[in-house]
Amino acid sequence: MANQRFNISMKKFLSDPILGVIILLLLVGGVASFTVEVFFTLQNFTNFLSGSYFVMLLAMGMTVVLISGGIDLSIGAVMALCAGIVAKLALQGMSVPLVIVCALAVGAFVGCLNGLLVTVVGLPDFIATLAMSAFATGILFIWTKGTPIVGYMDETYKQIGGLAPIYREVTVPMVIAIVVAFALGAMLKKTKFGVHLFSVGSNRLATRQSGINVTNIRILAYVISGVCAALSGIIMAGRNTTVPPDLGGGYEVLAIAAALIGGASLMGGRGRILGAILGEVVLAMTINIINLLGVPSSYQKIFIGGILLLAVLVNQLVISSRTKILMRSTNKK
Amino acid sequence: MKFKNFFFRSVSITGVPIFGLLILIVALFQFVVPIFNATVGDYITNLVPVLLLTVGAAIVIIGGSIDLSIGTVCGLSAGITMWTLASGLPTALSILLGVATGTFFGLLNGFLITKFGINDFIATLATLNISGGLLIVLSQATELYGAESEFFTSLVYGSFFGIPTSFFIAGAIILLMQFLLLKTILGRRIFAMGNSGAAANVAGINVRNVKLATFVLSGTLAGCAGVLLASRLGGVQAFLGLGYEFTAIAGAVVGGVSLAGGRGSAAAALAGGLFIGTLAQGLQLIGVEPIFFGIVSGLALIIGVIFDQKIQDIGQLRSRFDSRVLAQPPRKEGDHG
Repeated sequence: MANQRFNISMKKFLSDPILGVIILLLLVGGVASFTVEVFFTLQNFTNFLSGSYFVMLLAMGMTVVLISGGIDLSIGAVMALCAGIVAKLALQGMSVPLVIVCALAVGAFVGCLNGLLVTVVGLPDFIATLAMSAFATGILFIWTKGTPIVGYMDETYKQIGGLAPIYREVTVPMVIAIVVAFALGAMLKKTKFGVHLFSVGSNRLATRQSGINVTNIRILAYVISGVCAALSGIIMAGRNTTVPPDLGGGYEVLAIAAALIGGASLMGGRGRILGAILGEVVLAMTINIINLLGVPSSYQKIFIGGILLLAVLVNQLVISSRTKILMRSTNKK
Repeated sequence: MKFKNFFFRSVSITGVPIFGLLILIVALFQFVVPIFNATVGDYITNLVPVLLLTVGAAIVIIGGSIDLSIGTVCGLSAGITMWTLASGLPTALSILLGVATGTFFGLLNGFLITKFGINDFIATLATLNISGGLLIVLSQATELYGAESEFFTSLVYGSFFGIPTSFFIAGAIILLMQFLLLKTILGRRIFAMGNSGAAANVAGINVRNVKLATFVLSGTLAGCAGVLLASRLGGVQAFLGLGYEFTAIAGAVVGGVSLAGGRGSAAAALAGGLFIGTLAQGLQLIGVEPIFFGIVSGLALIIGVIFDQKIQDIGQLRSRFDSRVLAQPPRKEGDHG
């Protein structure tokens, strides 16, 4: 009896996408704490974590889209566009809450546009969002005339960007990341929409035939990722202190890598918010270790490409081995 | 409805509509911009590398995949060529190395996709970062220059009978690809795989090898494009090639290469690439800022895909109709029931 219960909990543990990322986290952290001296210090941890909140937000949005069976390549550009909006409106003297609402609205609008292009127009998801990324970057370039937006920073934006803490070690990006994580986590686990989202990602046709409006759910997934990108852009504007027009380049790759490391699948129907967060922690940690080892920053891009490949490979390995274990345990019965 | 059917059917003959559109906008720009004629040779010389990329993208897309790495691989090939030339290697050898770089990345993409089963689009996104990163490292985030080979510069700036050499090179390569796609066994297999990988597999085609071949071809074309690009620019900057893949894919799709796979040709992709290039050049001459270029190619891409879907819909309607007619039992004479 006890054995059976153990089997069930073991099965549950093994079928959890978090497993892979926890192993990876321990592995990377363990190796680093032995080889790099300054790695295992509180200073270093807060250092690389504070630089990872905005990618975390992007990764969470990406996870939602990945669960629905799509992909959103526009988030990097949307983040940059929203950062540009924040900077531009702040320069014109608009009040902070209004600026934030504007940026969020633009993020939601672009997300909605992505969703409509993918569902109603029927474009392949990565082509539609790649085109949207070109649009967003183009608009930012036209708007800034190719030069960075500067001179909008004040105390509030310093706090929003996490450059100044609000209480001891607590910063605004940290709070935003935690709140969004709980909100999205609860949405995926506890609401009807969350269940429908997983169902759409696992089998779109079956979901449609059981009477669920698949189109709306997919559009909403893109809207959520757009809003996450906007939040990330707001933080980025504060953190970066200037908004160059090519700000968003490459962040979508980081977000996809983090989401995939966290157990999301490109096939849809799989993924967890906690996984995305831990995935980004692993990524940030790896980049941090690479920096601490004294590798020039020009190598960073190569490593990110390598990590992305590794993430997908590990993801596939975990899924296939889990399927094997589950098959074996069901065959025994 | 009848007209609509006729319209999309006539338009679905691959390449016909885009050639029509191309002639239309060339005529339009000649009318609107007086200096268009004088600059047309220059701008096509500039466009040649991107056209090669477009054909490479088309081959992979016809096979039912996508290759996002071609832009940065082209940049890296240009960098390798320039670097080896500047360090004193014979010209022929460095050109070969540049092309080989492209082939290597094509092989890498192909192996990642066919042997390791990684999603094509993620695998090439990763190699996009890797090749782009390698160029940054190679150029130390500045610029590579210093090729002093006459022969190398004559690749683009030389001319036969008043036509730039690069036209002949690119024309020969594209002609070869068109022949390969339409007249060889490999070409037929690429189309079969693009239409349905499973069906091609059942029919006894080694789908993995064919897929590998498409990526090797597109990588090699990216390598050739890189060599020509290096020859034209004379210097290779750290971020060269970034974003070219988008223009290339947009060109292929606008030319009538279906993202669903199994439809298109090298000539159609060439026309699509020329169309987008002409549009960009014409707009620039009118006085639109080059910044709008990304937006224009994005729009062209979306319109191309929508158009392709309409054609597919019509095709499906027709085949459904045909199958319904064929499925009916043959009528006998005098049978009115």
